[in-house]
Amino acid sequence: MSATELLIELTLMPLVAFVVGMMMVLMMRRIAAKLQRRVGPPFFQPLYDIVKLHSKRTQVSHGLIHDIGIVMAMGGYIAAETLLPVPGMNGIAEKGGIITLLYLMMIPSLGLALGVGQCANPNGSIGIARALTAMLAYDIPLVIVVFGVAYAAGTTNLIDIIATQQAGGFETWGVTQMPLLAIAGLIAMHASLGKQPFEIYIAPAEIATGPMVEMGGKYLGGLFVMQCFQLYTTAVLYVSLFLGGGTTWFDFLLKSFLVLAIPMSIAYLFPRYRTEDLLRLMWKWPVMLGLIGIAFVI
Amino acid sequence: MSTNLVLTIALPLLGAFLLPVLMRSSVAIALWSGPAILVYGCWTVAELWLSGFAQPLSIAIGGFAPPLGINLYVDSLALLFAFAVQLLGLVFWPFTLDQESARRQSLMLLLVAASTGLALSGDLFNLYVFYELAAVATFGLASASGSGAAYVATLRYLILSGIGSVLTLFGIALIYSQTGTLNLAHLAQLAPAQLNNSLGLTAFLAILIGIGVKAELFPVNTWVPEIYATASTRLSAFLAGLLSKLALLIILRLLLLIFHQPEAAQVILILGILGVISGELAAWRAKEMKRMLAFSSIGQLGMIFIAMALPDGKGMLAVLALALHHLIIKSGLFMLAEDWGGALERLRGSAKASPLGAVLFVLFSLSLVGMPPLPGFWAKFVLITELAAQVEPLYLLGLTVFLLATVVEASYLFRIAATLYSNPAPDTLSEEIPKSKGLSLATASLFGAGMIAVALLIAPVGDGLQAIAAQAQDVDLYITTVSPAVSGGSQ
Amino acid sequence: MMLTLLDELLLFSGATLLVALFIGRGLAAGWMVTILYGGQLLALLKMAVLGYGGGTIASSLSFEIMGQELSWRFDGLSWFFALITIGSALLSSWFSCGAWERSYIRQGGNIWLFHTAMALNVFTMLILLASGDLLSLFIGWELVSWAGFLLMVLAGGVATSAAMRYITYAMAGGMAIFGGLALIYTASGSLQLEAVTTAVEQMSGAKLWLLVILFGGGFGVKMGLMPFHLWQAPAYAETPGPGSAFLGAISSRMGLFAILLVLVKLFGIVNIESLKLPFTPIDARDLLAWIAVFTIILPTFTAMKQNDARHLLAWHGIGQGGYMLLGVVVADAMGGAGGLLHVFNHATYQAALFMAVTAVIYRTGTSDLNKLGGLVVRMPLSFVVLLIGIIGLAGLPPMNGFVSKWLVYRSLLNQGMPLLFLAAVIGTLGTILSVYKLIHNIFLGQLRVEHEHVSEAPWSMMIPMLILSAIIFVTGLLPGIPLEWVASALQTVGLPVPDHTLGGIESASGSLDMIWVIGVLFAGFGVGALVFYSAGRSKRVHQLDNYAGGHFLSADVRYQYSDNFYAGLMHLIGGWYRGSFLWLERSIRSLVEFLSLGMQGLYRRANAEFYLLTTALFVIAWVVI
Repeated sequence: MSATELLIELTLMPLVAFVVGMMMVLMMRRIAAKLQRRVGPPFFQPLYDIVKLHSKRTQVSHGLIHDIGIVMAMGGYIAAETLLPVPGMNGIAEKGGIITLLYLMMIPSLGLALGVGQCANPNGSIGIARALTAMLAYDIPLVIVVFGVAYAAGTTNLIDIIATQQAGGFETWGVTQMPLLAIAGLIAMHASLGKQPFEIYIAPAEIATGPMVEMGGKYLGGLFVMQCFQLYTTAVLYVSLFLGGGTTWFDFLLKSFLVLAIPMSIAYLFPRYRTEDLLRLMWKWPVMLGLIGIAFVI
Repeated sequence: MSTNLVLTIALPLLGAFLLPVLMRSSVAIALWSGPAILVYGCWTVAELWLSGFAQPLSIAIGGFAPPLGINLYVDSLALLFAFAVQLLGLVFWPFTLDQESARRQSLMLLLVAASTGLALSGDLFNLYVFYELAAVATFGLASASGSGAAYVATLRYLILSGIGSVLTLFGIALIYSQTGTLNLAHLAQLAPAQLNNSLGLTAFLAILIGIGVKAELFPVNTWVPEIYATASTRLSAFLAGLLSKLALLIILRLLLLIFHQPEAAQVILILGILGVISGELAAWRAKEMKRMLAFSSIGQLGMIFIAMALPDGKGMLAVLALALHHLIIKSGLFMLAEDWGGALERLRGSAKASPLGAVLFVLFSLSLVGMPPLPGFWAKFVLITELAAQVEPLYLLGLTVFLLATVVEASYLFRIAATLYSNPAPDTLSEEIPKSKGLSLATASLFGAGMIAVALLIAPVGDGLQAIAAQAQDVDLYITTVSPAVSGGSQ
Repeated sequence: MMLTLLDELLLFSGATLLVALFIGRGLAAGWMVTILYGGQLLALLKMAVLGYGGGTIASSLSFEIMGQELSWRFDGLSWFFALITIGSALLSSWFSCGAWERSYIRQGGNIWLFHTAMALNVFTMLILLASGDLLSLFIGWELVSWAGFLLMVLAGGVATSAAMRYITYAMAGGMAIFGGLALIYTASGSLQLEAVTTAVEQMSGAKLWLLVILFGGGFGVKMGLMPFHLWQAPAYAETPGPGSAFLGAISSRMGLFAILLVLVKLFGIVNIESLKLPFTPIDARDLLAWIAVFTIILPTFTAMKQNDARHLLAWHGIGQGGYMLLGVVVADAMGGAGGLLHVFNHATYQAALFMAVTAVIYRTGTSDLNKLGGLVVRMPLSFVVLLIGIIGLAGLPPMNGFVSKWLVYRSLLNQGMPLLFLAAVIGTLGTILSVYKLIHNIFLGQLRVEHEHVSEAPWSMMIPMLILSAIIFVTGLLPGIPLEWVASALQTVGLPVPDHTLGGIESASGSLDMIWVIGVLFAGFGVGALVFYSAGRSKRVHQLDNYAGGHFLSADVRYQYSDNFYAGLMHLIGGWYRGSFLWLERSIRSLVEFLSLGMQGLYRRANAEFYLLTTALFVIAWVVI
């Protein structure tokens, strides 16, 4: 592969991710609307939101780290997309592998944490403390799942993991081979999205007590962009691990949206867990499922 | 020249009796005669050593050949200890000038004479006599400080020592009744046939416990903490450093020459282990330095007993190394303790007041717990390699106890070191902080220098000790030296 | 006599010690010593061939004492550890020169003793690293232990009791090794390495078990392995700033060096794996691995609860040691490389972190995490250093800690050890939480009024910190540089070497190329910045201009969220902190105390003759029966 092709891939992959991510945000809102018997936003609403937020007049910055935090939050995901193979484009997936990808996905959280930290708002700090705790909660089942998949495939290279699943059709998909891990992964993925019932740290309903408390204008805009990427990355990662990735763009996107639709549909039916309950839940069921799943794999 | 060696016993003995008389006529002569005798003694021994001493000698006293006559047996081991006695006698000499000190000086000479005799004697009865003589001298010296506590402690020591003597005599009598001789060489010949039985064992154990009083053998060592804590530090240093080693030497000779029963070694091993445990643990909570050193001394002697219990004289080198090491270190530590008496808490900040003393204390402690490359490490190394080579579990227990005791030892010694270096309590005046100074510091420095010299010259010193140990272990050599007529000897 | 390169190094190191000892009181002494460390580094670099391929360089120093031959030499492993030792000594000493030194003296510290203790530590460590047989290893080991004690005890007060605790642990460890040494000597008749290897082959399982426990435990004390970890954090934390940077960077890694030499090289992982624990499916290697992961998890979560920055870092130092041991024990190509690489990486970021915290203490006078906050604007460079350090410590890209942890994870994955893998990841997640608290409570959040005029740390402190930060980043970007040295070290202990490139690891089961990863990461940041800064300008408000809950807050109202930082988490796991090891330690102490009391009672009894007679009667009865 020539350098130009690679460069094009590296540019296209985050771009696609962004566009798809926006559509996923839209889907999420539409699902919520359906469940709440509302009409829901128009198709371009996510884009309008991003543009609107970025062009606000009053933007309050609490310092350089506040800005950099937002940059890191977006940048981490942009980088992560290049490690996540999509149909026809592998980017630099083979140079990183799934463990690196998981770690890159933590960088936005850290960036957000730094940015919020500089705002010197105790409510923001409390929110971050909760967010990091939640990360501790859902990452444990997540790494169990990743371990199981990578061990079963004998590699950490996502391209190979996808290829092995595609080799024998539906029979060799991760979800049929390792159903328990797939369930555990789904729960962990749901929690990692920070949606109900696991949204204590975002606390969108009472914004004054969450990490977003000092975020306005382009700061919130940056986080909105981050959310697009987050939805995309999480869904595609799940598809790559359990649903055989995508051979064509069509089935790839279909799977991704479907996978995301599951937690979205469940999300709005539940109230909120407290932090310690979130931990308790995450460390009990998905961990147990994951470990049993691994026992089957080994 | 070798007959001069007899003078190392005779002259101090003579001096001891003449000193009070001399004191009346000329104070100056009286003051210098004691040290002069000791210097002469040192010189005599050193000269013999330096003039190419290789083969052990036997010196018959009064012209009667052993086993009928009494004899001195001089090998490198005996010479080493004889030298140490004279030298330490000099180092710990009570240099003061009054009527009281005359008594102390003559007692000191008596002690030196008796100790030299203990190192050199070649028969059991003489050993016993010198042992008693040494005991008498120490009673006098221990009570000389005059305090009530010292009297009480001495009384206790006296009773214990007396009963010990009776036991020793009982053992000797048993041996005599069985063999009809008290000459060690002769006994060595007869032992396999006549003493290798329960009677012999009983005799040995009686002697062991009797002499063990001085060798700080558990459990007949209860006098140790009190005496060391109340008697003058110089005497404590002499007792802990040297006299205990001489008692050990007797037991060692008996064990090597006469009593080869495994039970004998076993008893020594068990008592040694108990000594280590009790001494080191008791030291851990000691609240004043001298008492701590006394308990630590019990523990160290226990370690030497463990080494002594190794079968077939394998522990000879370890015993020698540990004993000499302990002699240097404990003497040095006691000299430091002279100015650092009283509760440990008082010592806070002493390191600022007397930096050299504190450094010496740390160095001695490091060597005592066996930090390489200080000499203590090598002594311990020799011991543990020999212990680990034994298959019997009791020896391995000894090894374990030894290692654990070292941990405890490090803990309490460095607690003192930390106290020395910590800042004084806010309300203490700088004059109140005890300083290490003058003669005692100089003496301690001397021992410190000796220790460092040994550390630097560890290779030749090690070889030398090995040679001494090998010579002392050779039973045949002992027998043929004393009575050349007998060849072959006992195996 | 020709001096070998190793002789030169040791002489240089000895000279450093002497210079510190004799002219260490002058103010220029610090600089002189620092320059001499530089000289040591050059002398070490002259031996660089060891780090690229191997061989050994012997010292012409050797003794024979009581039939024991003692010799010293350097190989790839020694060189690797020596590089870290001298490097961290150089930078710590540099850090201590000038401003810090002056403030230390002002506060009544003894700078002469400090420089001497540092130089002594380096010298003894080099001696240890150069040991050519087990006896010289033990000698070096004890020297290092006591030298460390000297450095730890310097500060007095709390530090003294921490150091006393250390020396008791260290002595216990030392004696375990001493006992093991005696057992080996009995089995092999010599303490030369070849003889030991031969003897191990013929040794019975039980005996090898005993040796593994004695040596593993003994060396483990210095590494702070569970359950011998309690001493380490207070002892390191209470050492004067640059000293704690040095100790935290390398001191406890001497334990790993010794474990590599004795357990891995002499005993062999294969032999250790063949030792089964009776009645369980576990073998000795699993046992070590599990000790390693517990060492990762428990100290990391203890660190999270610390309220003093230095203690927090020191606790993490213990936890990170677990990763190193874990990698080494897994002992495949990636694990071994990960474990060893982590030694290097840990040294760099731990030193940087301790220095940054020391810089904060220098300016504010405290390291209490509840009494700081908002310093990022006042001390931006220190913030950057701390940030780089914590990213390294947490093992996130783009810093070097990520690479070594990645290698350890990969080895666990390849070997199919899910529980160990999980435990290792839990440790990392815990670390992330804990270090965020660290940086938040010091640099983020509300600025305290009394710190409003604090300025950046002086350059004498800043430059070494920046150098370290650069190393952390560069070796994260190009891990091939240290991996080359690691490979050489791995070869000397007989472990397999992974295929490595300048940017990372080549492997059929998934590679890593940090150049690309960091490249896209920074490209991503670039794009993010482009998006962010192309939007309208933002208005910068003053740091103290804030509100909460709808109220404006003035600076004198304290509202920094710092205490009980992870309250939600502690709701759940707070009850799991039982302090069991502290309890155990106290119990042992009480037991010794009790026994000691008993023994003193024994000696205090007046009727001594009673003992004598009883004993006499008893032994005579024993003989008769």
